[in-house]
Amino acid sequence: MDENEIKSEKKPKKSPQRRQEQKPTPPKLKVLFLIIPRQRAELYAALLQSYGINASLILSADGTASSEMLERIGLSDSDKAVVVGVVREDNSASALKFLEEKFSTVKNGRGIAFTVPMSSVIGVAAYRFLSDQK
Amino acid sequence: MKKFDHEVIFCIVNAGFTDTVMDAAREAGAGGGTVIHARGTANSEAEKAFGIVVQPEKEVVMIIVKSEIRDAVLHALYKSVGLNTAGQGIAFSLPVDSVVGLSEFPKKTDEAADNK
Repeated sequence: MDENEIKSEKKPKKSPQRRQEQKPTPPKLKVLFLIIPRQRAELYAALLQSYGINASLILSADGTASSEMLERIGLSDSDKAVVVGVVREDNSASALKFLEEKFSTVKNGRGIAFTVPMSSVIGVAAYRFLSDQK
Repeated sequence: MKKFDHEVIFCIVNAGFTDTVMDAAREAGAGGGTVIHARGTANSEAEKAFGIVVQPEKEVVMIIVKSEIRDAVLHALYKSVGLNTAGQGIAFSLPVDSVVGLSEFPKKTDEAADNK
């Protein structure tokens, strides 16, 4: 009940016609991290392009898991690459699902992928590039 | 606010301290980590003033943990490689809204819980 009252109080004044035609909020972005064997970095970076990830950054890295752990998860090589890309929120779930499938089908392509919400970005051109919107 | 199941901890330490980081993190229940080699850029003015160039080699350790053990891992890192130790580490965490490819985590957290 209280909520309704508050909402009605906060009703905005009738705004001019131009304001009402404003476009909806632009989609948010997420930073996608992908940790994979180094020899597969280029392959995964190329695969990500189909999910609107126009540019990705490949960093050389090393795994720290103990050999016992490596055996358990089926890895034998500690040479890794971290691929960092920016993905639009509405594409992130399908991109992760696609990656999960690739982790089990690509030979020596097992890895981890996760997304972190991006809180801000400056520049319209940069936003359009990162969100893959023409 | 949305609750996150996992967090990713970034720990920036002096080169060579990755093992110390991972030992502390494992003790607190983390699984594995990934190390990225990096170079710090702090103090360039001081370098100029003293006329010496220090190449501050750094390592960035990324560790994905369950949200429940995040604080424990951060505390462990602070104690073992905090700024007032030789590792001169800085650790922070970011929320992870979804993750794929993790399979070894549940067992490790159970072990950590048993140890407490």
